[in-house]
Amino acid sequence: MLDRTADEANAWMARVAKGDRQALEMLFRSEAPRMMAVSRRIVRRTDLAEEVVQESFVTAWQRAAQFDPERGNARAWLTTIVRNRSLNMLRDGARVDHHDGETLEALGDRVGDAHDAYDRLPDRDALKACLSRLDETKRRSILLCYVVGMSHGEVAAKLDAPLGTVKAWIRRGMSALQECMA
Amino acid sequence: MSTNDEMDRITGYVLGTMEADARDAFEAEMLRDAGLRARVDRLAGQMSALDDTALPEAVPEGLWAQIETRLGATPQLGRVTPFPPAAARRRGGFVGRQAALMAASLIVAAAVGYFAGGQGTGLGPRDPVVIAVLVNEADGSPGAIVEAFGDDSVNIVSLENFVVPEGKVLEVWTLPDADTGPVSLGQLPQAQRATLSGPNLPLPDAGQLYEITLEDAPASPTGRPTGPILVKGFARVPVL
Repeated sequence: MLDRTADEANAWMARVAKGDRQALEMLFRSEAPRMMAVSRRIVRRTDLAEEVVQESFVTAWQRAAQFDPERGNARAWLTTIVRNRSLNMLRDGARVDHHDGETLEALGDRVGDAHDAYDRLPDRDALKACLSRLDETKRRSILLCYVVGMSHGEVAAKLDAPLGTVKAWIRRGMSALQECMA
Repeated sequence: MSTNDEMDRITGYVLGTMEADARDAFEAEMLRDAGLRARVDRLAGQMSALDDTALPEAVPEGLWAQIETRLGATPQLGRVTPFPPAAARRRGGFVGRQAALMAASLIVAAAVGYFAGGQGTGLGPRDPVVIAVLVNEADGSPGAIVEAFGDDSVNIVSLENFVVPEGKVLEVWTLPDADTGPVSLGQLPQAQRATLSGPNLPLPDAGQLYEITLEDAPASPTGRPTGPILVKGFARVPVL
């Protein structure tokens, strides 16, 4: 089922690269709900996630010829675009922080979202098994970066640990994670 | 083989802790290094299970219409045809950190190499008065370099392989000053290196705008830019 969706997405991307707008719309109908969700975990606000998704699909249209199915499926390619755009928006503090005086922290529970993502990983997934073998501090640091887009500094503040320590946790944690999944 | 330093950069890229500038340079490096790309894709693929845990959200009704409206003004780009670094061409490939450094300075190096080679004589009457790096506004990536000379001519180096549909041309423009408005320097059938003779204009100056638009062939019907802007940039005076 997942594989069929991935194949479909690849076929649509091949048509998008030839200038087929309908194929882009099919891709949008199929992938936008997931893209919205991935983005909103990072940018926190629905309106900003909408903007990210809009920009990402325009970029996918513009750069369709650069999508290489040999490298992976179209969904992964789109996810990378969405993640990078979301991170850019998040780091551009002027866009996210100062809206109506709201702060990121007021916009939902970032720590909770990061933890939920881990909880929702299927137990049979190698990533779940390997993350579960890490010390809690390493696991939390990695999840806070990947799932909600925290910087090293934000993780350090959140976990009340020195920046250098957090960087070392992440480095060692990611190294152990990759060894475990190899 | 990946070194510790490379491993740090791969995890920084995939986790999202890398700064935006470093991320752009890293992506340029990946385009040129299939091994690095494979290592990044492998880790990204492993971590992507976390993206799959995000519960799909409602998409606002008008969002597709907004995207579709923008497609008309967004020309599709061709495949990236990166300039291989000169050193790689000479030695037939190289690896490691040096490749990273080369890639980071690649566009500048390629441009300098081209201009030095093209002009032959070094300092002299054919030194450019100004140089502009034209970037794609959507993502800030460099798409072309314009070298403007004192005799109204310009050299164009395309860095992005723009798709030029049947019946269209690339048109190069400059804005000498607000009163004069945009002036066409000439047309190109496709992304390529070219010298355009240009009309008689005042000496180009630092800060002068250059841009490339997509126009109906053979040239903009109004003599002003009418099509989408592919890349634009402001001129700087080169340090000679």
